[in-house]
Amino acid sequence: MTKDQFLTKLEASLKRLPSDERQDIVQDFEEHFTIGLAEGKTEEEISVSLGSPQQIAKDLVATYHVERVEATASTANIFRAVWAVIGLGFFNLVIVLGPFIALVALIIAGWIVAGAFIVSPLLVILNTVMYPEIFQFFDLFFSIGLTGLGLFIAIGMYFATRAVTSGFIRYLKFNVRVVKGGMKDA
Amino acid sequence: MNVQFKKGVLELCVLVLLDKQDRYGYELVQKISDQIDISEGSVYPLLRRLTKEGYFTTYLKESTEGPPRKYYRLTDGGRIYLHELLQEWKEFTNGVNQLIKEGVNDD
Repeated sequence: MTKDQFLTKLEASLKRLPSDERQDIVQDFEEHFTIGLAEGKTEEEISVSLGSPQQIAKDLVATYHVERVEATASTANIFRAVWAVIGLGFFNLVIVLGPFIALVALIIAGWIVAGAFIVSPLLVILNTVMYPEIFQFFDLFFSIGLTGLGLFIAIGMYFATRAVTSGFIRYLKFNVRVVKGGMKDA
Repeated sequence: MNVQFKKGVLELCVLVLLDKQDRYGYELVQKISDQIDISEGSVYPLLRRLTKEGYFTTYLKESTEGPPRKYYRLTDGGRIYLHELLQEWKEFTNGVNQLIKEGVNDD
């Protein structure tokens, strides 16, 4: 690969980053080529030693998305970060996607339970409207009790969701730090 | 050596190299690849990340040959982080060396 080919590929793989960031990265690699050439290496030698521009770009993109999540942990940002980190290597399909699906499922399940408990008196009323003959006060009071419990679960889930989110972001950061990213024998 | 393992260590290498003096990217890459077999390009994402995390600052300095170069300087936070990593590294390698010694002697 020539210098131009390398830089073009790198830039193309970074198209999702803001342009000033992209320019800055490309400039670092331009500097690397300039100094290498001045030391008498060929463009080919330098680009072979650098490794795959796509893999370098993946590393940069993953770091970028994880940082964005740290700034604002919106659902879209989290999904983008998880996706970018998974892209770092096949290995991550298991150790990132697996826990992510499990945690998302647990959180959704918790919220559904809380929601169902909270609306349970409505269900009792609905049931009474449809089948007035089976109405029992016990059902009504029990469902009102469930509403209270549901509210507590919702509050708990709110904090649990936040804790799990920040914990998972920390895990993503750790993962970016340790997993692959343009290593030679990968 | 194991790939996953190497990337974590790369961070320590970069921090150690900047402890005594500021260096430019190419210089850091060469110093490391002289000793360890790496894809040289993977050092740059690492430098960017550590800079964003506040462990380095960067500045441009004129060079006698060619255009100015981007130098990296360790911050106070970076130095603290370096010493933490060094401590972990020493404990880790001591442990592994001890196990190797016992293992080899048992054979």
